[in-house]
Amino acid sequence: MIACILAPGFELQVALHDRPRLALRAAALAPLPGTEPLLGPVTAAAEAAGVHAGMRLGEALATCPTLVLVERDAVQVHTEWEQMLVRLEDSGFAVEPVEPGCLYFDTRGVERLYGGVAGALKRALASVGAPWTVCAGAADRRFASLAAAAIARPGQALVVDDERTRDFLAPLPLTLLPLEDDRREDLDRLGVRKIGQLAGLPGSAVAERLGPDGRRAWSLARAEDDTKVTARPPATGIAERLEFPEAVANELTLRRALTVLLDRILARPERGGREIRKVALTARLVGGGSWRRTLTLREPSAERGGLRAALGPKLAELPAPALTLGIELLTLAESEGHQLALVRPEGEELETRLRDGLRQVRASAGAGAVSTVVEVAPWSRIPEQRALLVPRD
Amino acid sequence: MVADSRAAGAARPARLNEPRAALVEECFDGSPGRVNRQPVAAIREEWRVLDRWWTEEPVSRRYFEVVLESGENVVVFRDRERGGWFSQRGA
Repeated sequence: MIACILAPGFELQVALHDRPRLALRAAALAPLPGTEPLLGPVTAAAEAAGVHAGMRLGEALATCPTLVLVERDAVQVHTEWEQMLVRLEDSGFAVEPVEPGCLYFDTRGVERLYGGVAGALKRALASVGAPWTVCAGAADRRFASLAAAAIARPGQALVVDDERTRDFLAPLPLTLLPLEDDRREDLDRLGVRKIGQLAGLPGSAVAERLGPDGRRAWSLARAEDDTKVTARPPATGIAERLEFPEAVANELTLRRALTVLLDRILARPERGGREIRKVALTARLVGGGSWRRTLTLREPSAERGGLRAALGPKLAELPAPALTLGIELLTLAESEGHQLALVRPEGEELETRLRDGLRQVRASAGAGAVSTVVEVAPWSRIPEQRALLVPRD
Repeated sequence: MVADSRAAGAARPARLNEPRAALVEECFDGSPGRVNRQPVAAIREEWRVLDRWWTEEPVSRRYFEVVLESGENVVVFRDRERGGWFSQRGA
């Protein structure tokens, strides 16, 4: 069976961990700076006051003037989530984290160890730890296990019988399905409000009316998804951190700090010569917030220059001066070396590779992403009239 | 098949090193004292560009290459035709 552990509003739970009194008041996770002003998860008291997650900030404050906005702590969320995953892994669960607050694991490997599915779920809930509010669900399908966890009470584990999955899903609301709001509104106008009603519609009609997303939601509603759980590779636990004597906003200083961090982390013996596939940059910001960016390298690398070039531009995204800067190696490559080419590519082969690389850049960054610098008046005394950027599309 | 006109519009040639508006606090002699809220530590060079005065779009700029207190090197100019301060690379 597939099990799902759900920690509703995990980011808010982490933010309120040090301020438990706020959990009893109307509080909500503040929107991220520079994004649409929509609220994150809200407390039960806020919900009772008419505020809900995804509500516009202005509307929420007008509805509940005493609403307390809590800032997200991205680094703390990641740390707590990672600790939760490690605790589960220590208990023998091979987990697949989806996002902070949601993970899956296959119960087959641990059923005999803990005396069945219910025993395994009980053990998983105990491994998560006391401060967090979590629910668990298990079913033979991934979506059904998520739905079971979503309707379970805090601390409760709900197991759905193999043969009754469709019956279990039928009375549940459509909000559990990964559908866009306007698609859900379309269905609502047609009188389709329950998962069972959607499952009863002809697949071709759903696909025609709602597109590929609707078709996928329809197959989830019919418990036909056969996505398996893919356990994550073990975490490396290799991290380095640099504390500044005072807050730093200057990109040059931050880049120098990044170079020092790279030197330190590349010299760590735990790496065992393996190259880096996924890396994260973290910072604690002046004023109490935190910042975190992850980067998956196109090709695993352990070259300082290449890593610096890949991570350097991320520093420009820091929203405030940093008190600390950190780096974490999230995933390492299995192999230790590169397959070198016997003959260096040149001529037509080199051009083919270049064209292929440019095509990939265009595919990922869109039209106009690849340009050529064409000199039009290099003698001009006005800098912007000397050259043009001409797209290569 | 009709080409997507929006896509064609998005992929037009663009000028390199276009000036960008900069927040500059002037000293009494017209030189920059603070650039983008950072104090100027030194002025390395100063020059003027007067061009295209025979056209309807004349260019009259007073350039400064400055070093900020953070160590950053920036080129800013005051545009006498349009008014205001701009920063520019490649100058």
